[in-house]
Amino acid sequence: MRALCRRFLLLVAALLVSTSAAAHKASDAYLQLDMHERGLALRWDIALRDLDAAITLDADDDGRLTWGEVRTAWPRIEAYAVPRLQIDGCPLRIAGHGLERRSDGAYAVLQLASDCIVESALPAIHYSLLREVDPTHRGIARIERVGQASIVRLLEPTERAASPAAGRLEFLRDGVHHILTGYDHVLFLLCLLLPAVMRRVPGGGWQPVERLSQAVLPVVGIVSAFTLAHSITLGLAAAKLVSLPAALIEPAIAVTIVLAALDNIWPVFPVRRVVVTFFFGLIHGFGFAGVLGELNLPTSQFAWALLEFNLGLELGQLAIVVLATVALFALRARPSYRAVVVRGGSLAAMVVGVLWLAERTSNVSLLPI
Amino acid sequence: MRRALIALALAWAALAAHAAPINPMRDDEVIEVLPATAGRARGEERRQREQLAKTPRDAGLALGVARRELARAHELGDPRFAGMALAAIDGWRNDADAPADVMLMRATLQQYLHEFDAAAATLQKLLARPGSPQPQAWLTLATVRRVQGRYSDSDAACAQVSRAGSTLYGTACQAENAALRGEFAQSRSRLDGLLATPRLPGATRAWLLTTLAELEQRAVQPNAADTAYRAALLADPDHYTRLAYADFLIEQRRAEQALTVLRSQPRSDAVLLRLAIAGAQARAPGAAADIAEMRERIAMANERPDAKRLHGREQAMFALWIDGAADRALELARGNVAQQREPIDLLVFAQAAHRSGRDSARDEVRRVVDAVGLRDERLRELL
Repeated sequence: MRALCRRFLLLVAALLVSTSAAAHKASDAYLQLDMHERGLALRWDIALRDLDAAITLDADDDGRLTWGEVRTAWPRIEAYAVPRLQIDGCPLRIAGHGLERRSDGAYAVLQLASDCIVESALPAIHYSLLREVDPTHRGIARIERVGQASIVRLLEPTERAASPAAGRLEFLRDGVHHILTGYDHVLFLLCLLLPAVMRRVPGGGWQPVERLSQAVLPVVGIVSAFTLAHSITLGLAAAKLVSLPAALIEPAIAVTIVLAALDNIWPVFPVRRVVVTFFFGLIHGFGFAGVLGELNLPTSQFAWALLEFNLGLELGQLAIVVLATVALFALRARPSYRAVVVRGGSLAAMVVGVLWLAERTSNVSLLPI
Repeated sequence: MRRALIALALAWAALAAHAAPINPMRDDEVIEVLPATAGRARGEERRQREQLAKTPRDAGLALGVARRELARAHELGDPRFAGMALAAIDGWRNDADAPADVMLMRATLQQYLHEFDAAAATLQKLLARPGSPQPQAWLTLATVRRVQGRYSDSDAACAQVSRAGSTLYGTACQAENAALRGEFAQSRSRLDGLLATPRLPGATRAWLLTTLAELEQRAVQPNAADTAYRAALLADPDHYTRLAYADFLIEQRRAEQALTVLRSQPRSDAVLLRLAIAGAQARAPGAAADIAEMRERIAMANERPDAKRLHGREQAMFALWIDGAADRALELARGNVAQQREPIDLLVFAQAAHRSGRDSARDEVRRVVDAVGLRDERLRELL
């Protein structure tokens, strides 16, 4: 065996000298799946070293993963890993996370849960983690069910199923998941919606609208502008026609929140909000594209997967918009609406936006998310 | 199968208990140190990987990355790098349209991962293609067949190496097979003849000398073996030769010298195992720690049901020389020779059978040795 490799090197390859000891086992992830009457709980341990190979956690390329690097990468870790594990009939949600040390290195711990009830003795598991990085990777799963002996299964990563014909629409789910957990996008949208149930009257004041239909029109305008804009940049970035570094886009997204909130209190936009929304939407689209890159869409059905992901984003966004508009409409006539909801809400959004901006341009942690 | 799964479950439980939560307090706290990159900046390697993800069928780029990762896998004994090398050539799932060098790389990686039949099948597909002669592919096939103990298939491939134009490699290939069959004198003179070739590259010289040293070791000519190993290490001190020399020194009960050879090497499983064995033999102060570390690595590797395919040889040696558990060593060695049948694999099998004291075990080993056609003088006193 070694003899062969030596001979191979002898003829065709140059020897490289390397230093440093490292792990000596193949790449394994550990899954602990507990099935009970109300659903299932899953703990998934993935080596940080493997995650770095897939989605580059080591932002400064110094070969050392700091807590700051890992912490800021958590949304990317989840966006990368979670869609790569599917248990039939069990949509998984994120229930928590952590870190742990094993004898061969540090591992990310993802806690997942589902309310599904698995009837069969063994749930069907589709596993595709790290397939594109190291096809020899394996998931070692221990499956426990109350009253039964635990079962160990070796999960071999397979090509990620992405065909819409398969009916699983997983990229759609990725899109919904991303908008619902992409707090910065949600906050930006809310900032735009806060004054939508009011209208500006001559002299700079605000007045609540009388009918829901009066609120719907501006909301539709704003949401359409945002959607159109982020679809354009998402498409351009996904097709690799335009690419901007996350170091630029992430702080810029924080700035859009601060400005949108500020405009609610004190008009700063020189043009109509729809135009500004469109412009800012272009920036958010690049943010979505960053996540899309990590989802590693299959090249064969790239257009379908992109469409699904974007559709998922829009569905999630629509849900947020409808709920927010109805709630704001119900509150609009209260005397305190302007002071508490618009001003207070905008002020809070500004504070969060500024903190995000600080976090994203330096290496400090100020917010829990 | 059921027993394997129970063992797996137990190992899992034992290891799960080893996991301790990390609760970092500061952003600049280092949580993990990544393996060093050689020569090349980490950022540049990342850009290469990203580029490859965009153009997975750029053969030059894919092979460059694959060769680099394979070299690291060898150097550090870290199998993850072999996996990354496989990923680099993943743009060609279908052998039919893969370039020849990609096929050769795939076969070499399959070989590294002990998928010997798959490696041979890949090579045979490549060699069935019309076109230019492929001495490297034939030489690789000859080695795969030799490792499997299929000497006559190996001979046929060696002959093709010569026919494809690499006479020196073809001749050495055949001399090695002849030596394995016990034609010591004839093989010795052929290797000596090749070593007299003028302007021989250092790596080729070292390879011929190591082949000669291994011949002398099997012929139980320790002085000649020692001389050849030392000359090989002078010509080109590669990882494989150091390990082979360490095995020889341990066999000669020169454990202190074996430790000196091994200590400068990256602590791959193969190196650590020999450090443990030589350390125990020499009663060296660091031996207990090396043994404990090796034991833990074996336990971790065994979480995978197929671990014994990759680690059977090392695990059998550990059971035999560290734990003195002849029966377990015999079982592990038996599983191992179902995969690979290099002289060291058959030697360990024979040593385990000898230690077990059972005639039936010795008979079993003798049948395998005869089927392979190996003649190794060290086996005489064991069987």
